[in-house]
Amino acid sequence: MSPYFFYLFAAILILASLAVVLARNPLYNVLSLVVAIFSLSCLFVLLEAFFVGMILLLVYAGAVLVFFLFVVMCLNLNALKLSSVQQSRFKWLGISVGLLFFASFGLAAKSFIKAQTMDASSIRGTIENIGRILFTDYLLPFELTSLLLLIAIFGIVSLAQGALSTGKDNENL
Amino acid sequence: MITLGNYLALSGVIFSIGLIGVMTSRNVLKVLLSLELLLAASNLSFVAFSKFNGDYAGQLIVFFVILVAAAEVAIGLAIVVLMYRRLSTIQADELKELKW
Repeated sequence: MSPYFFYLFAAILILASLAVVLARNPLYNVLSLVVAIFSLSCLFVLLEAFFVGMILLLVYAGAVLVFFLFVVMCLNLNALKLSSVQQSRFKWLGISVGLLFFASFGLAAKSFIKAQTMDASSIRGTIENIGRILFTDYLLPFELTSLLLLIAIFGIVSLAQGALSTGKDNENL
Repeated sequence: MITLGNYLALSGVIFSIGLIGVMTSRNVLKVLLSLELLLAASNLSFVAFSKFNGDYAGQLIVFFVILVAAAEVAIGLAIVVLMYRRLSTIQADELKELKW
């Protein structure tokens, strides 16, 4: 079962990353990167890296790419125009993907009932194992990451302030 | 049977696609998106090595890479927005002056 899933998600990943590079519309670039990240996290789950896969979905697909979309919408580079034929085709695609998702949700609920009787310590790659080495061997890098995020915040605030002040200068001139 | 080689080949393909994107696209936003592909490819090989060597450090490094990438994207997009405000374009070729 696993090899087929590997080839399926590998094909989706390659096609989506080609679309990231080749698509003309910046909105399609960002949205196909969402698809690429989603299939990458599916590959992580196949590799039994459950925690990292979930973090990838939450941080990348949830936060980073929405940020990208936000900037693309703000810049308004070129308006998205789709003909009615394309939209109806996408509607059927959306409905079928939604039904597929609902079916997989049913399967997940069924396996959840079975998983409650399983021994949790036998599952590899869980948060417990990751957290144990994160807070022992890799404690210093973890603390330094907070410093990095702080520096990033300072950088963005100073960039935004610089933009505001130069804008005022231009008005005065 | 899926081996380490399959995952590394996939990672190499994704890395090459991302590298082509970084080198060929003039749109700064597209360069940033292709950088994300490069990071995703390296993440995939880290997790694959972690699985096939039975070492969790690889997954932890992916965790750090995701954190650093989030910071990088935030700064990069702030610069893109500033560039658009000043030049009204996000083509990298338009950045011709060292100082505004």
